[in-house]
Amino acid sequence: MAETSNGAFEPKVTAFVCNWCTYTGADLAGTSRLQMSPNVRIIRLPCTGRIDPLFIVKAFERGADGVIVSGCHPADCHYTSGNYHARRRFALFLELAGFMGIDPKRITFSWVSASEGGKWRDVVNDTVTRVRELGPFTAYRELAGKP
Amino acid sequence: MARIGVFVCHCGENIGRTVDCARVANELRDLPGVAHSVDYKYMCSDPGQSIVKQAIREKNLDGVIVAACSPHMHEKTFRRAVASEGLNPFLAEMANIREHCSWIHEDREKATDKAIEVCRSIVEKVKHNVPLETIRIPVTKRALVIGAGIAGIQAALDIADGGVEVVVVEKDPSIGGHMSQLSETFPTLDCSQCILTPRMVELYQHPNVKLITYAEVEEVSGYIGNFKVKIRQKARSVDADKCNGCGACAKACPNKKVPSEFDTGLGTRTAIYVPFPQAVPNIPVIDRAACALFRGRAKGLKKEACAKCREACSREAIDYDQQDTFIMQDIGAIVVATGYQLYSIGKDQPAGLTGYGEYGYGTIPDVIDGMQFERLASASGPTGGRIVRPSDGKEPKRIVFLQCIGSRDPAKGIEYCSKICCMYVAKHTMLYKHKVHDGQATVFYMDIRAAGKGYEEFTRRAIEEDGARYIRGRVSRLYRDGEVIKVQAFDTLSGEPILMDADMVVLATAMRPQPGIQLLAQTLSASYDQHGFFNEAHPKLRPVETNTAGIFLAGACQSPRDIPDSVAMASATAAKVLGMFSKDQLEREPTVARVDVSLCAGCFHCERVCPYGAITHLEIRDRKGNLVKVVADVNPGVCQGCGTCQATCPSKSVELSGFTDEQIYAAINALVL
Amino acid sequence: MQELRDLARKLLSDGAVGVVIGYEEGPHGVRPAFITDGADADKLIFDRRCVQNLATYLAPRRNHLGKLGKKALVVKGCDARAVAGLIRETQIKREDVVIIGVRCGGVLRSDLAIGNGGSGNGEGGIGGGGAGRPAAGAVATGAAAVALTPETVADRCAECDIREPHLADHLVGELPPAPPVSKRREELIAKIEAMTPGERWDFWQQELERCVLCHACREVCPMCFCERCVADKTVPQWLESSPTGRANFAWHLTRALHQAGRCCDCGECERACPADIPLGLLNRKLAQVVEERYEFRATDDPEIPAPVGSYKLNDTQEFIL
Repeated sequence: MAETSNGAFEPKVTAFVCNWCTYTGADLAGTSRLQMSPNVRIIRLPCTGRIDPLFIVKAFERGADGVIVSGCHPADCHYTSGNYHARRRFALFLELAGFMGIDPKRITFSWVSASEGGKWRDVVNDTVTRVRELGPFTAYRELAGKP
Repeated sequence: MARIGVFVCHCGENIGRTVDCARVANELRDLPGVAHSVDYKYMCSDPGQSIVKQAIREKNLDGVIVAACSPHMHEKTFRRAVASEGLNPFLAEMANIREHCSWIHEDREKATDKAIEVCRSIVEKVKHNVPLETIRIPVTKRALVIGAGIAGIQAALDIADGGVEVVVVEKDPSIGGHMSQLSETFPTLDCSQCILTPRMVELYQHPNVKLITYAEVEEVSGYIGNFKVKIRQKARSVDADKCNGCGACAKACPNKKVPSEFDTGLGTRTAIYVPFPQAVPNIPVIDRAACALFRGRAKGLKKEACAKCREACSREAIDYDQQDTFIMQDIGAIVVATGYQLYSIGKDQPAGLTGYGEYGYGTIPDVIDGMQFERLASASGPTGGRIVRPSDGKEPKRIVFLQCIGSRDPAKGIEYCSKICCMYVAKHTMLYKHKVHDGQATVFYMDIRAAGKGYEEFTRRAIEEDGARYIRGRVSRLYRDGEVIKVQAFDTLSGEPILMDADMVVLATAMRPQPGIQLLAQTLSASYDQHGFFNEAHPKLRPVETNTAGIFLAGACQSPRDIPDSVAMASATAAKVLGMFSKDQLEREPTVARVDVSLCAGCFHCERVCPYGAITHLEIRDRKGNLVKVVADVNPGVCQGCGTCQATCPSKSVELSGFTDEQIYAAINALVL
Repeated sequence: MQELRDLARKLLSDGAVGVVIGYEEGPHGVRPAFITDGADADKLIFDRRCVQNLATYLAPRRNHLGKLGKKALVVKGCDARAVAGLIRETQIKREDVVIIGVRCGGVLRSDLAIGNGGSGNGEGGIGGGGAGRPAAGAVATGAAAVALTPETVADRCAECDIREPHLADHLVGELPPAPPVSKRREELIAKIEAMTPGERWDFWQQELERCVLCHACREVCPMCFCERCVADKTVPQWLESSPTGRANFAWHLTRALHQAGRCCDCGECERACPADIPLGLLNRKLAQVVEERYEFRATDDPEIPAPVGSYKLNDTQEFIL
């Protein structure tokens, strides 16, 4: 969370994306000059298959108010099946995190292909809007101080 | 303390307009571990690269961050520049502040803040980068071609002509495949055997080719450049070294009533047989299911029920006790050219296919499929090239061809187009007209797909010169009425129902992958689609490779295709194989996974998720040789670096180079408040 | 019971195994027994107080037991699922263990069967019975244990479909009638699911704040067999080692995720927890998800592949944009 000079809440969103589809799709969004919210920071990984739930937990621990995980559509995975394994992994993660009280609205999973610059913009803007409405994830940050 | 250099690029106005590059460079300069931080107008230009190189030299940098465009654009450029200064290229990374920042934001302050944070995250990551060395894998320069139809023959010859040894494995007693069964080929109507048999002989005699017929690939282990292949040589019951192909054995064989596979059941052969006169190699094989001696043995007879072929053989080549043997080969690249089978519509159907009982194939003798028509039309066929009805040997005066039997019919299980049928049906109508001058050919079609050089002209010729009658419509039923076959159909252009008489009906059945192809694909760790055709690595850009490195495709095992397409694909595959063999070692990026064997508990979740079969089992033994444990091991030649293993590993005992947990942890942590 | 003892005696005297791992009467209720001498076989017992999952002694990480020779293991249906899991995940070979399956009519809640490990204060541990569970009553020490009722039966027995372990080499006992069904756990899960995210958060914070990160849940778990748990990894340290709210949350989330599709639902983590945290709820919730989404139910058939590490092209993905 960061506060601008006028004190409005500016959400921090960490995005974990695959190199081949979503990262390239985000490149395309840039090449197409699609304007979007500046609140998202991208961490590039080879594949959604490489994205560990621990990354998401760590992002929240460090102060992220929201998280995006994005990669290749089914059947498009550069590594043929990394995204299928990721899909199961994140289905379980989301169900459990939701059961334990993390608002699922803070986490976006999406398939964004290399040609979907517009979709990436929407994913970014929708996530930021959603998280802005939810407010800062202070509940998680306050955990650190609790013995 | 790290000594990292940060180089912030303005990209002319592209970045500089929205991001305050000087502020980015200034703020990063204060980060611990950053020894040098500057901004410049065009970092990728020669002067820009010189700034990077000079700083590496003068400031003794051990890591480089270029904050500029997407790494997809210039990562290679800067890594090369870094390497030219003797620094390991994998110590350089890019921070994307153009596509992911300046181009998508307008607020200069926010964009600059974001750029700083993105750079900081990459700086922290680079602190944990380690030098990586390009992986070099030795290559066995010997190719294996599975299947010796026209695609396999072409691929093998092209590779062999390139000076590389080729092992060709064919499951049938002779090479030649489906093409050897064809009469004449579209769109030129040249005789199939005339163009194929010289290629078969060339393959047989080629000094670089080792031909293994009547054999199948049993096991494949290893990886690109280093496969170990186990081939099962099925027992021919004939000693290939002694046999001179005189044919006396077949003449002596008393069982002359075995349906000939080559003649699609329209002709017969003996129990010891050569599939067709031009077979390569010209060495017979005993069909043990049809041979009286072996049938007697199967029933437990001690006495030999028949030994006429052995008696007839002057070279003592017949060996009733021959067993299957195994041949091991070291192979560098594998070409799959297993071809197709026709949708056998009358017999038992595999799951998902419903068959076409309404066409009476198998019950009405004069309803045949396209390959049977080829044999009837072939000069070397069971009728010597006379087109006659299998039921009574009479010449059919009214012949009806049905297209798209099985193809383009999702309701019956296959939605794809078999691609070749439009053309061979047109050919069949011409072959028919050339042999039965007073006959009338009628074709029922859905669409005519004649895309290809000379193809449209060819179909027009069939219609305009050879009088084939094309009716757009679907036949709903075929049934017998005395000697006549009633064709009940619907003309979808005129909207009229049709009931016509035919003397013979030919079904253009769909092309399907060979039976057992899934098993072979699993043996090769290659993927296949829902129909069982092999998957190419990329439908457009890598059409002849599979996703498994070192496994290539040729011909109809990948999708239905005709002879010119198969040959083109085979030559393309051969070029790929020769390209791979042009180097003594294969090189690849070092982003591969590594297992910490001291921590691995051997649960093998990684093996289950690895898309490439790169995980092997490694036995850890103590000094006395006692097994301590079995752990996972990554074959760097096979690993493609997706990292799914690492995210799956519960104890994080496997690390993906270039994207290690430490690097990502640091990158996440740098994105703080 | 005599059948079990005779079998153990025979396995030991024949030299088929070096140790029979089963249950015996201890000073504070039933405890694991390691019988290496046939003469001691009469110590073995089995009744509804035998809640412990002895499969945890099979994992190579506990290989100090290897000195005793080949193991025979007394298993209930739930324990058999753990054995199958260990085989599936190549921790043991099927032929390396003799499995003595007991036909099971359900077991008691662990607090009634043997009390709660660390505290011994009869109040259900450090937290005094969290999650609205009844505090432990008097611990049963004799064979005349508490009767099985919907209130006293272990949560997991409600879902049990392996009262006769198919995996067993030897099956002993008569099949008792099915246990009474407790709906406690499913009702609690439903209750949590009905909460808002904020309420769920508060619920779990109340539970997890008692956690001291002792990792007893991990140590007792037969499926936690890693040589070095990710929680003990220091470079980088994904999971913090001091028990703060943040570390506790991350640990329990990670632990449950690692068990998804693997948990045999033996209830040992919850039994071992000195803080009485209802850990079984997390495991059970994920088991429900795995069953709904991937049609997989924990089984004692090691040939059935686990759902994590495999995938289907048409796996549900309603949560993905």
